[in-house]
Amino acid sequence: MPKLTINGTEVEVKEGATVIEAFKQMNEDIAHYCWHPGLSIAGVCRLCMIDVEGARGPQIACNTVAKEGMVVTNQSEQIKDIVKWGMDFHLINHPLDCPICDQAGECGLQEQYMKFGQYDPEMDQPKVKKRKVVDLGEKVVLDSERCILCSRCVRFTDEVSKTKELGIFNRGDRSEVGTFADKPLNNKYSLNTVDICPVGALTSKDFRFRQRVWYLKNDNTVCNGCSTGCNVKVYYNEEGLFRVTPEHNEEVNGYWMCDEGRDIYKFANKNQRLLKAKKYDGSNWQELTAGKAMQELHHSLFDDVKTNCSKVGVVFTGQYTNEEYADAMQTFKSLGVASFFEWNDTADKAGDFDDLLIRGDKNPNTKGLQDEAANHSGLKKLEDAINAVNSGQIDTIFVMAPENISVYPNYQSTYEALSKAKNFIWFGANKTDGFEKSNSQNTYLIPMKSYIEKTGTFSGAKAIQKFNYVTTIVAGALTLSEAMTLFQGKEIEFELRSKPMTSLKNNHFTLNRGKL
Amino acid sequence: METKILSEHYDKPSFKTLKGYKELSGYEDLAKALKMDPKKIIEDVKAAGLRGRGGAGFPTGVKWGFLPDNGEPRYLLCNADEGEPGTFKDRLMMEAAPHQLIEGMIISAFAIGSKKSYIYIRGEYNSCIRSMTKALEEAYADGLLGKNIMGSGFDHDMDVYVGAGAYICGEETAMISSLEGLKGQPKLKPPFPAIEGYLKKPTIVNNVESLAAVKYIIRDGVEGYRKYGTEKSAGTKLFSVSGNVTKPGNYEIPLGMSMKELIMDIAGGMKPGRKLKAVIPGGSSTPILTAEEALKVNMDYESMAELGTFLGSGAVIVIDDSNCMVDLLGVLMHFYHHESCGQCTPCREGTGWLNKLVHSILKGEAKMKDLELINGISNHMMGKTICALSDAAAMPALSFLKKFRDEFEYYIKEGRSKVKGVSYAEVNH
Repeated sequence: MPKLTINGTEVEVKEGATVIEAFKQMNEDIAHYCWHPGLSIAGVCRLCMIDVEGARGPQIACNTVAKEGMVVTNQSEQIKDIVKWGMDFHLINHPLDCPICDQAGECGLQEQYMKFGQYDPEMDQPKVKKRKVVDLGEKVVLDSERCILCSRCVRFTDEVSKTKELGIFNRGDRSEVGTFADKPLNNKYSLNTVDICPVGALTSKDFRFRQRVWYLKNDNTVCNGCSTGCNVKVYYNEEGLFRVTPEHNEEVNGYWMCDEGRDIYKFANKNQRLLKAKKYDGSNWQELTAGKAMQELHHSLFDDVKTNCSKVGVVFTGQYTNEEYADAMQTFKSLGVASFFEWNDTADKAGDFDDLLIRGDKNPNTKGLQDEAANHSGLKKLEDAINAVNSGQIDTIFVMAPENISVYPNYQSTYEALSKAKNFIWFGANKTDGFEKSNSQNTYLIPMKSYIEKTGTFSGAKAIQKFNYVTTIVAGALTLSEAMTLFQGKEIEFELRSKPMTSLKNNHFTLNRGKL
Repeated sequence: METKILSEHYDKPSFKTLKGYKELSGYEDLAKALKMDPKKIIEDVKAAGLRGRGGAGFPTGVKWGFLPDNGEPRYLLCNADEGEPGTFKDRLMMEAAPHQLIEGMIISAFAIGSKKSYIYIRGEYNSCIRSMTKALEEAYADGLLGKNIMGSGFDHDMDVYVGAGAYICGEETAMISSLEGLKGQPKLKPPFPAIEGYLKKPTIVNNVESLAAVKYIIRDGVEGYRKYGTEKSAGTKLFSVSGNVTKPGNYEIPLGMSMKELIMDIAGGMKPGRKLKAVIPGGSSTPILTAEEALKVNMDYESMAELGTFLGSGAVIVIDDSNCMVDLLGVLMHFYHHESCGQCTPCREGTGWLNKLVHSILKGEAKMKDLELINGISNHMMGKTICALSDAAAMPALSFLKKFRDEFEYYIKEGRSKVKGVSYAEVNH
């Protein structure tokens, strides 16, 4: 473990680490564009210049291996001058169209100019003209004039996605990033190129022009798009979620996430959600609050479930937290219910893995569900539930429906099949637009919180990961645990919805409307 | 006086053929070398003081010594990309004496223990591609290449690889990239090619003239080779003299000869009525010398370094008093802007910026402060990039401005050339 001195402070780094990694480790400022911890070293932006005692001249920190006793600085006047000019070289042909650029506010050029530049530009020659609005693929757009040719995107497609769609064509200041003929940037990880692009050259078709980043808050959570459980950052405001980007976790997802996972936020937004509880008596639908609905269910069904426990079934999906499974199964077990079923429309592909991040099981917590059920009487198949409803063996069914319905192709048909039960209680975060008909004369649809709105843990393929409450999108929605508490006739507290929940056990939430 | 060691037989057409070459003691030095201990050859090349003839002047034997002893296959690459403007010595050698290069290469390959070598020739050198290809066929037919060369048990294969004419591919790591089928762009160092080069194997890249010279170190021995040249710049070297001289051409002289003798005697001196104004001593990237400097400098690495310039590839570009220095710098900046590979930001943007600035002077649009800007840009391009192309563009800009500043200032003030009296637009309408 070599020890070196950086700007006067000694730091110990792991064997083979580069000097720029040492800078990062001690949180010391160093200018750079092309270096990215998840990619190979390109050494082309020439900004991470350092003085190394005894070296012939300035070196680049990204390609200098830290050695015992090395004395390094990037605070000398010479280095500051080099970095300032380096910034200028990056900016002379950059269009400086920040007011209309989507990257503004999170742009490497803006940030590093403020930190290391702050000179008066001297370039008064005509700028090099390049292609604008280049359609690289289904999800990514390129503005070549903004590009600083750091080659991160090219290295990403070469080294991480290994799809090799991108290259730098032409040479000198005519160089441009582009795709090869007939091979657009359409891989399953293409939007990572937008994340790692330090400027506004690559933008996401989904996110561009939708919101200025400084109007968005962000928080970390865990993606619920598949059993991998990538660590992600979600960007939101009071209107809802706008985008999802990966957060580094070496154990789970490195620096990346898949494109599919970035769309999950759409299922959490209001326009996709069940906003209020609904009940159906065979002829009319009626809206009511979730709390009220659960109260009614407590009065009308709780005792009935206890007495007819053999005719009650509970269908689970792998989209809830471990804590919710524990509470729900405990509640039903205490009532004597033993028929738990698993609904997973992607079960046949559960073993699939693309060797990077994407897993075939599109539920974040199938493992958590199965582990918890193993403490009880295990899980039966969904068909068994449907057959039991059809034959009348089960007349009361509770369904813990999925949140991300894009991976549940049988969402609607399962609803229809299970609603043949006499008492049909559907817990779900997603909207129920196609649910005009219910075969049951005692139907309840209860709005659930999405993963953004609750704290809990998922047992993913790599690890059991905790995530915290981010924001509230549907004010009246419940977690399964809350629903179970209300079902038992107990009370829960609602707090101001802007306050984050601290833990699941202390599960007070949303609004000062007093106790139900 | 010219001292023809390498170029002794270049005027004989038969020297091109294997038969003619052998009649003039060709491949005898190879036979001698194959009986030697390879380590001894490396020691001899070191002791003879042979320095790389491609431009950098790095000691050839020392470069060979960097090869790791790790049992990995080694490659020898001959850099015949000869792209430095003003240089045409390797072309002469490959046209007039292809077997001389092949012999030098086999000896070098034997010394470093390489079983495979490539001659990387620039795409424009059609005659060289033809002559080298033909000579290789002859050598293979005669058992001089392939298995068990001359019964020594040493195997070696050699191929010609044709580049596409990019200046940058003369840079050794860019050449390796190009040879690997990649875009011709320099690679980040370290690792250096001797450790991890072609196909990530230890690789030695030497210039045509350096490899050919190895043959003569074997022939004449260390002392014999050192008979010419100076202590630190040993041997003879080919110089490509071009520009405003009466007899431009390739001339082989012992290192250390005065530039005055080379230009004024050997190359026939200036054209009638013309005066020497400046000399670019070692290819277009080397800092320019004024007439005064040129007439006192000697043609060796150290004398050039004293004047802040380089012997480079040996391309002596002679400039007389009919030339406008702003014009000339415009040509050079256009060249480097065109040839920058675009990888490193200071070079990619700097070469373009310099080109625009110099041309804005020529168009009469520049301001006096632009001269400081040219200096600033050039200074911040030097030594800041992966390879030396950035330096190659910056050095002429800096030296032209330093030594002929009056012409630049005149151009900016008057909008026309101090020498020619007319503007660029009037000339290049």
